[in-house]
Amino acid sequence: MTNKRRVLSALALVLTISLSQPLWGQKKSSTSDSIQIPFETYKLPNGLTVILSEDHTTPTVAVDIWYHVGSKNEMPGRTGFAHLFEHVMFTGSGHVPYGLHDKLTEGVGGGNNGSTTNDRTNYYETIPSNYLESALWLESDRMGFLLDTLDIAKLNAQRDVVKNERRQSYDNQPYGRVGEIFSGAMYPKTHPYSWPVIGSMTDLSAASEEDVKAFFRLYYTPNNATLAVVGDFDPKQAKAWIQKYFGDLPQGKPVERPKVPLGKLDASKRLVYEDRVQVPRLYIQWPTVGSKHDDDYALSVMGSILSGPRTARLTKALVYDTQIASQVAAFENSAEDVGVFQLVVIPRPEHTLTEIEAAVDQVIQKFATEGPTAEELQKAKAGLELGFLRGLESNLGKANQLISGAVFDNNPAQFKTDYQKTLAVTAADVKRVANQYLTRPRIVLSVVPKGKKDQASKASESETVSMLTRGGTQ
Amino acid sequence: MRQQRKASALAAALVIIAISVANIAVLAQQTLDRTKVPPPGPTPVLHVPTWTKTQLSNGATLIVSERHKLPLVSFTITFIGGSNQFEPAGKRGVAAMTASMLSEGTTTKTGDQLSDALQLLGTGIGVGVGGEEGSLTFVSTTKNFEPTLAILADEMLNSTFPAEALERLRGRTLVNLTQAKDQPVVVGSQVFAKILYGSEHPYGQRTTETSVKAITRDDVMAFQKAYFQPGRAIITVVGDTTTATAKAAVEKGLAAWAKAGDKPSFNYPKLPELQPAKIYLVDKPGAAQSVFNIGLPGPPRNTPDYFALQVLNTILGGPFQSRLNANIREQKGYSYGVNSNFNYGKGPGAFRAGGSIFSAKTDAALIEFMKELKGIVGEKPITDEELKTAKDNLIQGLPQRFTSVSAISNAITLLVVQGLPDDYYQTYAQNVSAVTKDDLLRVAKRYIDLEHLAIVIVGNKAEIEAPLKATGIAPITYIDIEGNPVAGATPSSN
Repeated sequence: MTNKRRVLSALALVLTISLSQPLWGQKKSSTSDSIQIPFETYKLPNGLTVILSEDHTTPTVAVDIWYHVGSKNEMPGRTGFAHLFEHVMFTGSGHVPYGLHDKLTEGVGGGNNGSTTNDRTNYYETIPSNYLESALWLESDRMGFLLDTLDIAKLNAQRDVVKNERRQSYDNQPYGRVGEIFSGAMYPKTHPYSWPVIGSMTDLSAASEEDVKAFFRLYYTPNNATLAVVGDFDPKQAKAWIQKYFGDLPQGKPVERPKVPLGKLDASKRLVYEDRVQVPRLYIQWPTVGSKHDDDYALSVMGSILSGPRTARLTKALVYDTQIASQVAAFENSAEDVGVFQLVVIPRPEHTLTEIEAAVDQVIQKFATEGPTAEELQKAKAGLELGFLRGLESNLGKANQLISGAVFDNNPAQFKTDYQKTLAVTAADVKRVANQYLTRPRIVLSVVPKGKKDQASKASESETVSMLTRGGTQ
Repeated sequence: MRQQRKASALAAALVIIAISVANIAVLAQQTLDRTKVPPPGPTPVLHVPTWTKTQLSNGATLIVSERHKLPLVSFTITFIGGSNQFEPAGKRGVAAMTASMLSEGTTTKTGDQLSDALQLLGTGIGVGVGGEEGSLTFVSTTKNFEPTLAILADEMLNSTFPAEALERLRGRTLVNLTQAKDQPVVVGSQVFAKILYGSEHPYGQRTTETSVKAITRDDVMAFQKAYFQPGRAIITVVGDTTTATAKAAVEKGLAAWAKAGDKPSFNYPKLPELQPAKIYLVDKPGAAQSVFNIGLPGPPRNTPDYFALQVLNTILGGPFQSRLNANIREQKGYSYGVNSNFNYGKGPGAFRAGGSIFSAKTDAALIEFMKELKGIVGEKPITDEELKTAKDNLIQGLPQRFTSVSAISNAITLLVVQGLPDDYYQTYAQNVSAVTKDDLLRVAKRYIDLEHLAIVIVGNKAEIEAPLKATGIAPITYIDIEGNPVAGATPSSN
C-alpha cells in the first residue's frame, strides 16, 4: 500500500497517542503479571542506544530506529524539516543507491516505513530473518552517510511528494485543517508545538540545501538515536553486526532538548472555520500536561469514562439519551512536553452546535462535581490487559513499545510503570483532574459549511479563522 | 528527578555489556567495505500454522489453530454470502443496520447491560456484513473467552431490535452518508463502481439515503433470521486453546443455535456492455487534488490466472517501487502515492489503478498512467529482475500473514471462504514460482483492456477540464457524485 507509506504528522501524532494508550495500558490481572518482554539493552561508545528482544514465533525481524527529533526541534520559518527527512532518508545514501532500500525490504517480502511526530521520527524495516544484516547495513548507511548523496534535485523531488502529502492528508480532506488551527491557537507563534508536523508550503519551498543539511548533522547522530531489533535472530550475531555497521559512526554534538512551556490560555477562544463540508462539527481543546506528567494517567482514564462505549458519560447523554449528536469522542492527547484534552462532536441535523456545546458543558460539570463511580473506573481499566497483550503480538509493536520508553523515559521497561500507574488511578484522581483541567480557559472551534458561519456555536462571539497565513494549498 | 534516577541506574548496568560488545567487533571492522551489500542468510523455513477442521452438529464448520505464545484467543464466525446475496432489492443497508442492531438489546439484557458486560471483560465484539461475507468476531484474553462468547451468542440469537434503536441508527447512518459526499476518495470509488457495474449489478449498488429510509424493523428481523445460519458458517478459533477445549466451549456457548441454512449461490447478473474508453469527470470545485480510478471489471478469485495476476500487479502497482508509484510519485512528484489492484471475490471484481494527484498535474499524470498501462500490456516488456523481485516479494512475504491470532484466523478462514485447498500456503511458493513472462503478458493483455477503460476523475473541473481534453486520451463524460450524467454539461469536443 504505497499510500500508507511515509505517513506522518498530525495523523501520526493521533495514531501514536491512541496506540500508546493500549501500549501503556499494560498488564492488569494475574494472567498477565507473568508476561514480560524479555529484552537486553546497551549503549555503543558513540552513544547509540541498542535494544534487543528475541521472539522466534515467525521467521521475521523488525529493525526500528527512533531519532529523538521531531517538528518541535525546528525553527519558525523553517518548519517541516523532520518530516521532510522522513522522506529523504528513503532516497539512498553514501553506499546505497536509490531503490535498493525498497528492494532489500519490500523486494524480499518485507516492509519499511517511517513516521514523524512533534517529538520523534522513526524508521523501520520488517524483514524475513535472513535479511537482518542488510537491514542494519541500510540503517547505518543513512545514519552515517546520507548527506554524501543528498543534492538539491533529490531534495526538490521529495519536497514535491511532501506537498502532495499535505494536499492529500490536510487540504483535500474534510476537517483536515483542524489540527493546525488548534496548534496555532493554543500556543504562541514561537512555541515549538505551534506549527504542524508537516510544516508549511512556504517553509518547505524556502528551505535551502544547506539549511536542511545542517538540521541533519545536528540531530541524526548515534547519540540521538535508539535502535531496536526484535524477532527471530541470534543475539550474539546481531550484536556483532550492530558493532560492525554502527560502531564506527562518529558521535555527534550533544543535543539540547528545548525547554518547552506547557500550553496556557489566559482566556478562552472561540473560533469558526469554513470548510468544504456539509455537516458542521464542534471541537473543544483544553491545555493539559505532557506524557511524562503523572496527571496524564488520570486524564487518559477520564477520556475512557467520558466517551467510547455507549454507557460512557458524553456518549450516553448526547448520542443515546438526547440523541442530539451522531458521534462524540473525548480523549487526552499528550506529546512529550505538552498535552491537550480534546473533544469532537458530530451533531444530528436538527441540532445546533450551540446546543451541543451547552450539553457537553452540562455533562462535564456534573462529572466534575460527582467524579466517576467505582464501576466506571473499573470499566475504564478493564481493557488494559488485552490491549497490552495485543501490543506484544507483532515484532514492530514490541519494538516501538521498548523504544518509546527508552527515548522518552530512559527506560525501555517504562510500559510496566505506565501500566501500574494507570491501574493505580483513583476516583479522586479523576475527579481532581476534571476540576483542574476542564474548568480552565479553552478553545472552542466550530467547523461549518462554506458561507454558514451562523451555524457556529455562539456564532456572534466567534472569531473567523483564515488558513491563508499558514500552509495554504498554493 | 524521578526519571533521571532511573536512567542512571540503568546506564550503569549497561556499560558492562557495551564494553564486551565493543570487543567482539573490532575484528570485523578492519575489513568493513560499506559498498558491499551484505548477502542474505539461508532462507528460513516457513512455518505455516496447523489447524483442525470439524463439522458441528448444527452444520457449522469449526476450525481451531493453537498458538500459545500469549494468553489470547481470537474467535470469529464467518458467514459465506453477504449483502449482495441477502439484501432485498431497494433495501441496501439492511445488512449493516442489522449488524449494528445486534448489540442494542436481547431478551434478557439491555444494550447498556451488554456494553457494560463487555467493557468489564475488557473487549468488544465486532459485527460486519460485507458484499460477499459477514462476521462476528472478538479477541479476548484466554480467561475471558467463554464469557465473551456467551455475549456474542446472546447478541446473535436473542436480539430484540428495539424500534427506538433503529431510528437512532438510521439518523447516524444518514449523517455518515452526508459526510461521505465530502470525501473525494469515497466519492471516487463509489462512482467508479457505478460506472463499471451499473445499477442492476450488486457491485454497482450501495446504501443510499432512500434505501436507508426504506428499512423497517421487520426488514431487520427478517435479515437476522435469514442470514445468521450455521449452515453457511465457519467458526475459527485461534490462540491459547486446544481443539478439544475450543470445541467444548463452542458447543456449549452456541448450543441454542439450531441447524439451518446453507451456502448461497453466487449468481450475478450479466455485466453491462463494455464502453469504449472514456473519462468520467466528477466536479469537486476547489479541490486541491484529483482522485483517479482507472479500470474495468476483472476476474473472480477462482480464476486460474490468479498467481500470474498477483505477480503482474506486484510489478505494476503493488509495492512502493512498482512501476506506477516509481514513476508518478517518485520520478514525477505528482502524487503522495498511486497503486493498482485486482479486487477478487466470487464475481467479476474490478481491476483498478489510481491515487490522488496534484490538480495542476492531472493531465500529465493521466498521460503517465496510460503509459504504464500500455507498458505492462507489452510496450515495456517485463525484465527478469522485475519478475524475480515480484516473486520474492510475494513468496517471502508469506510469514507476515501469520503475525497475530487474528491474522492467522483470517489467513485460514480465507481458504474455506474462497474454496482454496488446505495446503494453499505450503504450495504458494511453487505456484508463484511457476509464473513466466509469457503468462504475464497474456494475462495483462486479457485483463487490462485499454480500449475499454473507465477513467473516473473527481476534481476541480474548472482547472482540469481543458488540460484533460488536450491530452486527447479519451472523450470526457460529465457525471455527478452519484455517477449520473450531469444535465446540460458542456459536450466534449473529443
